[in-house]
Amino acid sequence: MQNLNVVDVQNVQKIYGKKNEKQYQALSNVTFNVKQGEFIAIMGASGSGKSTLLNILSTLDQPTAGSVKINEQDITSLNKNQMADFRGKEIGFIFQDFNLLENLTDRENIALPLSLQGVNSKKIDDAVDKIAKRLGISEILSKYPAEISGGQKQRVAAARALVHEPAILFADEPTGALDSSSAKELLDTMQDLNINDHVSVLMVTHDPFSASYASRILFIKDGQIGEELVRGTKTRAEFHHEIIDNLGTYAQ
Amino acid sequence: MLFKLSLTGIKSRLKDYIVLFSGLTISSAIFYMFMSMALNQNFLGKNSMMSASMTGFIFAFGAVLLSIITLVYIVYANSFLLSMRQRDYGMYMMLGAKSGKIGILIFLETMVLGVVATLIGIILGLGLTQVVSNMLISQLGLTITGFVGFYLPAVFVTLIFFVALFFIAALFNRRTLLKTPVLELLHGSQKPVKFKQNAGFVWLQALLGIVSLAIGYAAMINVKILVLASIPIALVTIVLGSYLVFNSLFTAVINVVRKNHKTLYKGLRSFTLNQLRFRITDYTRILSMISILFALALGAITVGLGFEKLNQQFENFTYYDAQIVTKDQKVAKEVAKLDVKTKSTYDYKIDGGTVYFIKDEFEKTPLKAMINKSSNSMGFVTTKVGTYSVADLAKETSGGYYYLNNLIPNKKATEQSPMKNVFLTQAEFDAKPQTANSIDLLTVKDFKNDAKTLQAINNLQEKKDPRLAEYMQSTKVFSYLGVRAMTSGFEFMGFFLGIAFLTMLASTLMFKILSGAQSDVSRYEMLSKIGVRRGILRKSISTEIGVLFALPGILGIVHVLFGLQFFKAFLADPYDGIWLPFTIFIVLYMIYYLITVWLYQGIVLKKIK
Ligand SMILES: Nc1ncnc2c1ncn2[C@@H]1O[C@H](COP(=O)(O)OP(=O)(O)OP(=O)(O)O)[C@@H](O)[C@H]1O
Ligand SMILES: [Mg+2]
Repeated sequence: MQNLNVVDVQNVQKIYGKKNEKQYQALSNVTFNVKQGEFIAIMGASGSGKSTLLNILSTLDQPTAGSVKINEQDITSLNKNQMADFRGKEIGFIFQDFNLLENLTDRENIALPLSLQGVNSKKIDDAVDKIAKRLGISEILSKYPAEISGGQKQRVAAARALVHEPAILFADEPTGALDSSSAKELLDTMQDLNINDHVSVLMVTHDPFSASYASRILFIKDGQIGEELVRGTKTRAEFHHEIIDNLGTYAQ
Repeated sequence: MLFKLSLTGIKSRLKDYIVLFSGLTISSAIFYMFMSMALNQNFLGKNSMMSASMTGFIFAFGAVLLSIITLVYIVYANSFLLSMRQRDYGMYMMLGAKSGKIGILIFLETMVLGVVATLIGIILGLGLTQVVSNMLISQLGLTITGFVGFYLPAVFVTLIFFVALFFIAALFNRRTLLKTPVLELLHGSQKPVKFKQNAGFVWLQALLGIVSLAIGYAAMINVKILVLASIPIALVTIVLGSYLVFNSLFTAVINVVRKNHKTLYKGLRSFTLNQLRFRITDYTRILSMISILFALALGAITVGLGFEKLNQQFENFTYYDAQIVTKDQKVAKEVAKLDVKTKSTYDYKIDGGTVYFIKDEFEKTPLKAMINKSSNSMGFVTTKVGTYSVADLAKETSGGYYYLNNLIPNKKATEQSPMKNVFLTQAEFDAKPQTANSIDLLTVKDFKNDAKTLQAINNLQEKKDPRLAEYMQSTKVFSYLGVRAMTSGFEFMGFFLGIAFLTMLASTLMFKILSGAQSDVSRYEMLSKIGVRRGILRKSISTEIGVLFALPGILGIVHVLFGLQFFKAFLADPYDGIWLPFTIFIVLYMIYYLITVWLYQGIVLKKIK
């Protein structure tokens, strides 16, 4: 169980631009994997290819070469509808700007992934109540996104990302739009979900503090995975310092 | 440089521009077509038995309505243009483009688009006027004379009207771009939407809306009692009712559905319903306007076509279909073409102020006439066939006396001193020295079918003896053609205005919906990210837009169905044959719906692979 790869990336390459146009290699030879129950952070400077990588992992974009397996399934061979279904079933998303539907109540937002899968309404209600309780947002389920704080919005988004129990949670700068205390709360929650509920997490971030919650950090530079830091038995604060030091040397 | 950038912006949304441009072109073409009729005295005068001022009034009324809807249309088309452009121009401003320059650009863009569309529209209108009028004339068997596609005053009026409108629109766009904060231009004004409405208040509004609609419909049904008062009552209550219903009833119903998670949690339904709830509240005004204009347009066509039936009613006002007083080869040849049902021949001799008839002839085949059977409170008359006895015909105070008088061609007879009808035996008649004449009174099996021949017979008789000109005006076919000219004028206008209204209001709705598309892009993008198939997104879009089109359409149809009650006063059965205008309407409306869905999906799903 512990050795199962939720994400398995082999020699992924991404070239933007068609053959006859100006081409740009955004990713080259990216190889790594995420084990079940791991909390991985991907760090890198702006333009280093983080979003490109995340888009490929989440089937929103295709690699030019290489293979990507999520939960043992090769996602590059799927057709468009299969990809959409795959995203709906196996992947949970949290975005920097929440991406909640402001016309729907929080409850309706969270219920969406399950109703898309055709789960019956009783089960949906139970699942929504359970995840909301887990994330401490039971009180605000009948509110609209416009009526709650940024931190609460990101919790609702997390609830929506997790309600269907996906194989992995992808987070793209999840704390980017939050103040520091909301950011800390969210990260604590994510860590808690990771440790106690064994949710696998892959988070893209600039921020060393956010990254310090991870068990392993992959540094990406010019489209290539460079260094890797493992937290091991270090405390979070120690790990935080190590990341900052590393960034200092890595930037040179 | 900026100009080039602006052109690139247009190119990237060419499809939307083409639709906007064609919409504007069509609206100016329609406007031109209508004006070329409304302003053309030649057309008005010849096609109407009514005084020219009356027809002029009807057309002026139509012109005002058309101007109002055109104005509304341009406002929405312009807001669509602005919604397409504000992001681009906001971006240029953020990048440091001078706002003065941006102002000039948007002003020019609006003016050029508008003026070019108007010019092409007028040219299109010229051609269409010719084609459509010919088509209508032959299709509906209308008789319209003096109608030419090109009419200079109409060209001027159309040009001035549209250029003035676009000038105002251009000023408005310039002002909006310069006054709105750049950030808002970039992200669109995310209007705070009030989602939390007091449920009780919503239901109260819904109830009030239904009650006002009921009052309005009742007023139409009871037009016989309320007479003219029913128009203002119905107008106020139906407008109010439509507004309230859109403002509350649908929201209330959607809220009930949302309470039940069993029906709500079905695929994308919760999203689609909430989109709709938001849209319908946001669109209350335009949806109620459309339901009412839709009803007016559909009503105009239905009633216009209903006037055709007035002709049939008119056929029942005169008994004899032909009056033959000229006996020669040519006339006989035409008469032979008729499908004759009955023929009565009466001999007569004119002696100064007296006409001699043979009594026997009137006893054997009595003279017949249509007499009033009943008339309703609105003056709608039904008739039946009656016969006159010889005694009636000889009595100066009876209706039959004058009736017979008018059947005999004689210049000397006047209202004040009619001829004297004298009935003689055959021997007495033969003894009179005057020349003997005879008149054939015919009825035919299908009057409408034979109308052309009947008119030819009249013309032949008149040609032979020009003094018969006035006499021929008392024939059935003469009045029939006159009434027909008038009713075809109405039919034509009803048909034309109806189609014009429909196309404009359907595209008004289209532009309103498309203007909101931009702000939906991120929603659909997000849904796609969390795993909604493209096909399901498409379905959600067609459903949402379908409901937005259907609601005012259905309400409009209900308005018309009740509204036709009002025309019971003039038309025997206003509901007869309504399938034709209804079908035309629904088909046209569907086309607009499909175009809207296509464009909307193009805008919203563009980025989704
Ligand atoms: N659609 C595209 N076409 C061409 N080039 C692209 C496209 N998307 C990204 N790129 C290029 O690929 C590189 C990697 O972009 P990416 O968005 O993955 O960076 P990132 O690490 O997410 O940066 P940031 O931290 O700023 O979000 C950049 O140089 C970018 O310009
Ligand atoms: Mg990025």
